[in-house]
Amino acid sequence: MHDTPNVHLSLPSRPENVLLVRQALSGLAARVGLDAIETNDLNTAVTEACNNVVMHAYEGAEGPLDVEVRLLEGAIGVSVRDCGVGIGADPRERTGSNAEDDQHELDGMGLAVIEALARRVELAEPAGGGTDVRMEFPLPDGVALESIDGTSTNTSLPEMAPAGAVELRIAPSALAQAILPRVLSALAARAHFTTDRIADVQLVADALATNAGESLEGASMAVAVTVAPRSLELRIGPLHAGRGESLVETAADGLAPVVERLTDSTRVAPSTGAGETLELRLVDRR
Amino acid sequence: MSSVTVEPTSSSRTAPGRGDALRGASSNELFTRWQQHRDPVAREALVRQYMPLTRGLARRYGRSSEPFEDLLQVASLGLLKALDRYDVERGHPFPSFAVPTILGEMRRYFRDSGWAIHVPRGAQERALKVRDAQERLANEHGRSPTVNQLAQYLELDAEDVLDALQAIQAYETLSLDAPRPRADGEVVAYGDTIGKEDERYELVELDATLTAVLGRIPERERAILRMRFVEDLTQTEIAEHIGISQMQVSRLLRRSLEQLRTLAHASS
Repeated sequence: MHDTPNVHLSLPSRPENVLLVRQALSGLAARVGLDAIETNDLNTAVTEACNNVVMHAYEGAEGPLDVEVRLLEGAIGVSVRDCGVGIGADPRERTGSNAEDDQHELDGMGLAVIEALARRVELAEPAGGGTDVRMEFPLPDGVALESIDGTSTNTSLPEMAPAGAVELRIAPSALAQAILPRVLSALAARAHFTTDRIADVQLVADALATNAGESLEGASMAVAVTVAPRSLELRIGPLHAGRGESLVETAADGLAPVVERLTDSTRVAPSTGAGETLELRLVDRR
Repeated sequence: MSSVTVEPTSSSRTAPGRGDALRGASSNELFTRWQQHRDPVAREALVRQYMPLTRGLARRYGRSSEPFEDLLQVASLGLLKALDRYDVERGHPFPSFAVPTILGEMRRYFRDSGWAIHVPRGAQERALKVRDAQERLANEHGRSPTVNQLAQYLELDAEDVLDALQAIQAYETLSLDAPRPRADGEVVAYGDTIGKEDERYELVELDATLTAVLGRIPERERAILRMRFVEDLTQTEIAEHIGISQMQVSRLLRRSLEQLRTLAHASS
């Protein structure tokens, strides 16, 4: 696997966050032309690995869940990582445990599901502890990787996102069109937005995904989202100095100040480096 | 947590209420009795024992797709095949053999039924249901529902609703575009609600490129853009005005913004 993942989700290991992984994967799958069965295989296997982290990695507590997706030559590589207790004994030895009760366990059943659906599975124990489930799925021929491949620098948001935030890094940023609207819609649903306002969130996501490219400092786009009841806070970066404002205001996309008109507040915050971070707030007032 | 043990040495529980003949019979005995002597009672005991695993797989693999009962049937067929083909002698636990067999059966079913290519039947029906429920709830409450309200109303997962919203955005083939009655029951032709939009656009500062490209998208879409971005109507209000669904408004908005971007890009 090459270094920078095309999609990287950093999530608190909560059950509801597995949905975000599925939404991101479905968007990516549609973008690279997987059919419904291939998408279902990918989603089902990765869900098993994520549910295992949620249920078992931190012994009832919460910790980081990292999902990285890489588009490779003829393959999609997915790594599901935690910093938890580790798998210990080969879970295959526990294959007999009950399927109905342990819906979420990467016991033999979960692993058997992954093994049946992925082309390759590898269980690794990263140096810092925890578990890394690495899976590989076939990528159909003819996927135009050149449009996806990019020399991307490793970026993260300059200021750390608040605890509990969902962080999403997409490289190159053009891939965001396939992923950001879905993930943000799911988060808007979690914030109890009405369908009306979710549709606005999608428009904002579209606008950002389409227009942020040139404003970004590097090839990748980082988005951190904090969810509160009827409110979503987004931080997008790292942007070139002076670009945050123009991303909000310019009419470069269609009728345009889509971002300005559909968000409730916007703020540009300087980041530690030379660049800046765009902060957006969307509220559903009903 | 109950556990179904299948190691050769341990004794398996048999289904409750089975006759004495089965009590204490190990899985391996049951396999031998079924595979070598075609004992239907043994097979039934095995089916009962592994039905939870089969059901779990149908649920995990088949979510958001076909009706669960259909899938369970397909998965069960996979279980029967696995019961026939499992080789006790090789010493692997049965589930590690059954899981890929059952999943394989479900994949084949999806493949054969054209599920891979077409909008899955379940997903399509669900999208239409979600759209209709959205309208009904919006009319009842005077504002559009949340995803949870839709999920509760339709007895679906929130994820199913989200996927449906996505499908409505994506699939042109869903017949979503027919004119529909307004809340007051009156059917409105699009033309009635559209007009005089051009002067209203002047309220917004638009650069020359945009003004030029705006003229190239259909009238109805232009009207929707105006209502949302100039008059600041909500999508639900727009939907009521022109007599289409909010979801359709959403789709048209997304599409026309995309069109505008493409046009603006091409002419700049």
